[in-house]
Amino acid sequence: MSIRPTMADDDVMDFVALGYVLLEGVIDEDFNRKCLDLEKGNVDAFVVSDAFTQKVLLHPNVAGSVRSLLGRDFLVPSGGHHHVIEAPFLGQTWHSDGLSGTGYDVTELQCYYYPKAVTIEDGPTMILPGSHCRAVDREAIAHYGDIRGQVSLTVPAGTVAMTRYGIWHKAGPKTSHTRRGMIKFSYHRTASPERDWVIASDEIPAYVDRPRLPYVTEVESYRDRVRRARTWRWLCGQEPESTTRRMQPRTLAEAVAGKGQGPKLDCTTA
Amino acid sequence: MKTQSPDAVSLWIEASREKVKRNGFAEEDLDQLAGLIEQPRQLVLYLYSKSTNMRSPLASWMLFDPTRPQEPALQNDEPPYGSVIEAMADGWRVVQFPVSKLYSYEDVDNDYLGYEFILEKLKRTR
Repeated sequence: MSIRPTMADDDVMDFVALGYVLLEGVIDEDFNRKCLDLEKGNVDAFVVSDAFTQKVLLHPNVAGSVRSLLGRDFLVPSGGHHHVIEAPFLGQTWHSDGLSGTGYDVTELQCYYYPKAVTIEDGPTMILPGSHCRAVDREAIAHYGDIRGQVSLTVPAGTVAMTRYGIWHKAGPKTSHTRRGMIKFSYHRTASPERDWVIASDEIPAYVDRPRLPYVTEVESYRDRVRRARTWRWLCGQEPESTTRRMQPRTLAEAVAGKGQGPKLDCTTA
Repeated sequence: MKTQSPDAVSLWIEASREKVKRNGFAEEDLDQLAGLIEQPRQLVLYLYSKSTNMRSPLASWMLFDPTRPQEPALQNDEPPYGSVIEAMADGWRVVQFPVSKLYSYEDVDNDYLGYEFILEKLKRTR
């Protein structure tokens, strides 16, 4: 079975900067309803069922994003966990899962599927865009509260959020008594990265940096720029970026010959 | 442990004696005494500044208030103050300043969001 990629250069650049893709309301309503009474906890058997595999895991939009970010022959989830919160709840503390968060590659996509709409009162999952490469000791940041630029995933039914494993996230505070369910599962890469998404030209564009995120300090914005360029080049199958590539300087000969993007300066007048 | 100066309680006793003599002593006077000897509670506010400068804008914040029920409250996308110094102007006292040496990094890796200021405010519940 061939899965067609759905993301283009620009979409992948967004993912590199933010660490997530949000596919709102893509799963059909009939199937969403079948998940509403699913028991909490381990749902491996349900996730590997033909119905879940076809309706969710191999949904053209979902699998198309996976193909774009993990390349062909990616591994399809063989299990999952159903996170259910019913009573009002203080909310979790910020964390990343496992020992995640290091490196600049994209080898695992951790996905959150919401069969039912989630409101701000329902304890939506919260994610911190751009935190996916920031290794963290989860117990050491348990006192962090609200963060500028945090995103509360208040989403319509049938939404799938796909994150680079390692993104900071948590269940937000819940004030309602409405059952909030989320099925979590992961895809993995097997292929070497090679810009395996929708492309208009074989020429690999340089990474176009994205806006600075609201919580990011000045020095961290420079680090982000380097991190993003590294991930982009890795996804495109290129060598790691050097400092000179990043700055795109001219050679001395080019400067003397007046080659460059700006107008040639007239240095004969004061 | 008394939290007001002994003078405040002494003044209350002196005033109360006069009230007793005039049969003017009331339950509110006992409330006043309870307030005088009450241990104030410490509120703690973590502010993550975008630099070690107290005028910098904030990246993150968290208030711990033991005087309120520990119940869920909705998230807030805007900080309570524009900067650490604005919080100080509102009566918060800094009890810990960020230590620059702790904000290390390797290559482009780090594991922190901003520069941690911890502030306190003492609050009476009566």
